[in-house]
Amino acid sequence: MLLRLPFTLSSALLSPPLHPHRSKPFSSLSSSPNPNPNPNHSSNTTLPLFLRPLSYSAPVSSLLSFRLWAESLALSSVDDPHLLRELSWLIDDASAHKHPRNDSLVPLRAELHELYELWRERIEKRRPFQYLVGCEHWRDLVLGVREGVLIPRPETEMVVDLVGEVEGFERGWWADLGTGSGALAIGIGRMLREDGRVFATDLSSDAVEVARFNVERYGLKDKVEIRQGSWFEPLQDVKGKLAGIVSNPPYIPTSHLPGLQPEVGLHEPRLALDGGENGMDHLLHLCEGSASALKSGGFFAFETNGDAHSEFLADLMTAKWGKFFHNIKIVLDFAGIKRFVTGYCR
Amino acid sequence: MGQTRPGSSPTTINSPLSLFLTLRFHRWSLFSSSAPPLLHPPRAPLSRSQTLTLASSSSSSTYKGGNYLTLTDEELVAQCEMDTYKASGPGGQHRNKRESAVRLKHLPTGVVAQAVEDRSQHKNRVSALARLRTLLALKVRNAVDLNGYTPPPELLQILPAKSTIRGSDVGPQIGPNNPKFAMGMQALLDLIYAVEGSVSEAANLLGLSTGALSRLILSDDSLRMAVNELRASKGMRPLK
Repeated sequence: MLLRLPFTLSSALLSPPLHPHRSKPFSSLSSSPNPNPNPNHSSNTTLPLFLRPLSYSAPVSSLLSFRLWAESLALSSVDDPHLLRELSWLIDDASAHKHPRNDSLVPLRAELHELYELWRERIEKRRPFQYLVGCEHWRDLVLGVREGVLIPRPETEMVVDLVGEVEGFERGWWADLGTGSGALAIGIGRMLREDGRVFATDLSSDAVEVARFNVERYGLKDKVEIRQGSWFEPLQDVKGKLAGIVSNPPYIPTSHLPGLQPEVGLHEPRLALDGGENGMDHLLHLCEGSASALKSGGFFAFETNGDAHSEFLADLMTAKWGKFFHNIKIVLDFAGIKRFVTGYCR
Repeated sequence: MGQTRPGSSPTTINSPLSLFLTLRFHRWSLFSSSAPPLLHPPRAPLSRSQTLTLASSSSSSTYKGGNYLTLTDEELVAQCEMDTYKASGPGGQHRNKRESAVRLKHLPTGVVAQAVEDRSQHKNRVSALARLRTLLALKVRNAVDLNGYTPPPELLQILPAKSTIRGSDVGPQIGPNNPKFAMGMQALLDLIYAVEGSVSEAANLLGLSTGALSRLILSDDSLRMAVNELRASKGMRPLK
């Protein structure tokens, strides 16, 4: 089982990162090329596609051939208009000009044969589009992602708005627990004033690396600090001082994992999805830990598996843990699902 | 999950006031008090022609179409159905985002606005809402009393400075790229409908030459098309 430990347990008990073999460098632009490209993996470059240099080129006609091939491959597998949109985005990220002249070479950020390989993986292996191009557009951000890191979901975009509602949030210290790509930490960090901070934790070294890359790309190193460790464990020094805690923890019941959409179940890290037998393991731990991690009046917002899970959690925090928390609310996502539980520490 | 919950839930549905662009399905109770609060709102959107009929009778009822544009983003979105998640399911971590396009259907009028061009759903929500405001301005008409007509402030704001009825306190002219332009455009279209498409008559009421008002109408494609559609229906030449 996955190991996520509370404040009370010694850090000596922490397990090592679960996917050490996956921690290939997610280098910044200035670093040297990856010395150990993994031959089993087509993405032997470490930067998101759209940030790579325009080192290659191809005639317009070749790019057009690629598009026609890719469209027919997409249509032969499933009739899915979203795939064609993804294909356009792949070409957008891989090339510099959206409307090249017919007689010209198109500058490319990857060799054409790599695009063929990537698209084959998309269709035949159901590799998520976001891993193909190494990024996801989330709120007004473009976040680097790669295998080993959860692709941030549109539902989670709303958590940033929930934080923006909290009185005086701009000057507070915030925690984003299980930050993954750093999406929430960066979304919040960009709204903070000078004295505001975000401490973002993740157990996965892949996530820590990717989150640091994204924080740096958005120039938030002074505001957002990424710390490796399980949940509250790396936050002992700010215990009881936090103005708010946000988290999108793993919440899918273990038994549901085999039935997930292949893009999710086959490719995204189990560490970021598996919520234990009924999906509540980590959420319960987070609620419990928040009582001592938050300062008095501190805010929390947690994403849940939806409806029954949110109701259960809200009931629990209102009734059994009512002496720690108050003003517990459930917030709907854009699909009308009871997605978030929010409240304040007494 | 197996756990039993207390009979009466202590939870409430959150509704923070400025939560931007957040759909709150329980708001559908505004439209039908007997509706269950979640997921299956009553849907009786009006066709476009019905919308115009409803709007044209607004002078004799409490309904004021123009009010939609005075709503906050949150209030306006609360009147909408959002189609992004048409394929239902548990959402969240369960799925890889298949769709960033956002389609907003304004239930009281049936007006639909969508945005598909961005890869971020968040940005598409913002664009779709801006577009919805423009469409509401174009499609929802309010009656105008031409006796002693005084242009509302939002209309004065989009007029060029040479208008003789435009006071110096109105401030600089607002162009089509300003979010406030939609409200002025709506008031201008209300007036042009009231004078049955006559640009010279409208110009007169706005203290402008016919040419100056024509240039204003031609400065925005959707405004020009709306005016020319009306003029065509009255057998008048289109503005060019």
